[in-house]
Amino acid sequence: MKQRISTWLDNEQHLAYVILAPSLTLLLGFAYYPAFQSFKFSMLRYNLKMPNRIKFNGFDNYIYVLKDPVFIASVLRVLYFMVIATAGVMLISLAISLVLNQKFKGRGILRAIVIIPWALPPVVNGHLWKWIFNGDYGALNGLLLQLGIIDDYHFWLNNSFVALNLAVFLFVWRYAPFVTILFLGVLQSVPGQLYEAAKVDGAGVFRQFYYITMASLSRIGGIAVILTLIASFNVFDGIYALMEFSESTKTPMIYNYELTFEMGRFGRGSAMAYLVGFFLFFLTLIYIRTSFKKDKI
Amino acid sequence: MKKRPVYSIFLGVLVFLIIFWSAAPLLWIFISSISERTELYSIPPHWIPENPTFEAYEKVLVTGESFRGGGGIAATELLRKGILNSLIVAISTTALVMFFAPLLGYAFSRLKFKGSQILFYIIIGIIALPAWPVLIGLFSVFSNLHLLDTKTGLVLLSFTFRLPFETWFMKGYFESVPSEIEDAARIDGCTRLQTLFKVSIQMVMPGLIAVSIVSFLHTWNMFAAPLVLTYTLKSKPLTVTMTEFIGQYFVHWDLMSAATMISIIPPLIIVIFFQKYIIQGLSAGAIK
Repeated sequence: MKQRISTWLDNEQHLAYVILAPSLTLLLGFAYYPAFQSFKFSMLRYNLKMPNRIKFNGFDNYIYVLKDPVFIASVLRVLYFMVIATAGVMLISLAISLVLNQKFKGRGILRAIVIIPWALPPVVNGHLWKWIFNGDYGALNGLLLQLGIIDDYHFWLNNSFVALNLAVFLFVWRYAPFVTILFLGVLQSVPGQLYEAAKVDGAGVFRQFYYITMASLSRIGGIAVILTLIASFNVFDGIYALMEFSESTKTPMIYNYELTFEMGRFGRGSAMAYLVGFFLFFLTLIYIRTSFKKDKI
Repeated sequence: MKKRPVYSIFLGVLVFLIIFWSAAPLLWIFISSISERTELYSIPPHWIPENPTFEAYEKVLVTGESFRGGGGIAATELLRKGILNSLIVAISTTALVMFFAPLLGYAFSRLKFKGSQILFYIIIGIIALPAWPVLIGLFSVFSNLHLLDTKTGLVLLSFTFRLPFETWFMKGYFESVPSEIEDAARIDGCTRLQTLFKVSIQMVMPGLIAVSIVSFLHTWNMFAAPLVLTYTLKSKPLTVTMTEFIGQYFVHWDLMSAATMISIIPPLIIVIFFQKYIIQGLSAGAIK
């Protein structure tokens, strides 16, 4: 019997399907089916607090969400967030990766230090910075006071514009290491002879930087921009820890959680998730197409 | 090539700025956790504590002292259970990943079977599924399967969403190592599975370590999913209990800093010891 099973398994087809079965089951059950399920919810009047009043209502939830001023404000807010965050991540990552690409002692240690912010739980990242931004005893206040930049302590997070930008800062701090590593991987594969050759041809430092360094980063740069846009749209943990449901940093991700799980509006929450998800889906498709294409060549 | 001194100084300044940017916040949390409250609450704060103490750790983990608005053992319980749950969930997920990742990589790189293209895209495709539509639906799926508020549920969920990364990564890794030794083993009469576990696995080990480590980090760090899918200390991970611990009781910042330090110890250890593997895992394929 045992012999029979092992012979049956040694067939390429059989083995492949046996290997894939558990993972595919989980995938269908815990990823694709739930997504379909919430699409169903999005067409229902479904308030978790009134479970016996569930009723089909077509696209009413979608119309409600699209007209909801809180939702519209949150979309505008996240667009601002995405633009500033992506610009910030690109600049910081480029700077750090250029430094890490130089040869000096202790480069390995520096690389480990640079990754740390990325490795921490994002929600803890939020708690950590909340203490630094604290208005009564925060380190930011202490530092700025000692440097003579401010005269007395400020409650930074009470100002909604400042709070939003600090949330952006948090994201940049956490995400830049990831993009830095992507850039560094490419920079280290650029052969040194290229620079030598350019020098012989009379190209100055800036032209070398533009024509060799920047050109070599152009492809990964495109991928990094899309990834950062997606990630900055998706921020939830850090903002939740920093500001919870405060108006000033309420992005669609935060509002979606609040509406669905705090207020129990499953129908409307699902509709919002789908509206937002539709947008994200396209961004992700662009990423998959650009990033996975190289696999085919 | 001789370096000019201006270059060295410039580089030194930049290196200092990078260290400050990345590590200063953490250093400050560590200092906060070992400072006496009076020093911490002075204006400006004492950057270097005069009487460093580990009392905050004891209060947070053992005695539960000095929580305003109740607390006591109940508050320490939040952290202790959280640590335990997070460890169990993260280790179990990593174990599953370690078992399945080589299998998946092997199947998609070495085996020819019908529908392999489509199945590969079905797995990779979940990257494109946005979080909330899945999580809202998962809430009802979990409640039907009685997986709400269980560690098993969290493990299965975390494992499922690591699948695209590990499949993609391990497939690439298998393709980068030659298959001659495997072929030789096959000729010697090994079955495919024996070949996989005795021969192939050793060659893809570095890749497997990278995948496992990134999975551990992701699972240890996850927050939104358990926030929705767990509701008692039976299964809440540390990220969630810590957040509650701050919301539920009025927590002093020295205690809060101690709790933060505890929650970042595993990721810190991993980054220090497995830096090389993390970089490898991150740069290959550039999947989040």
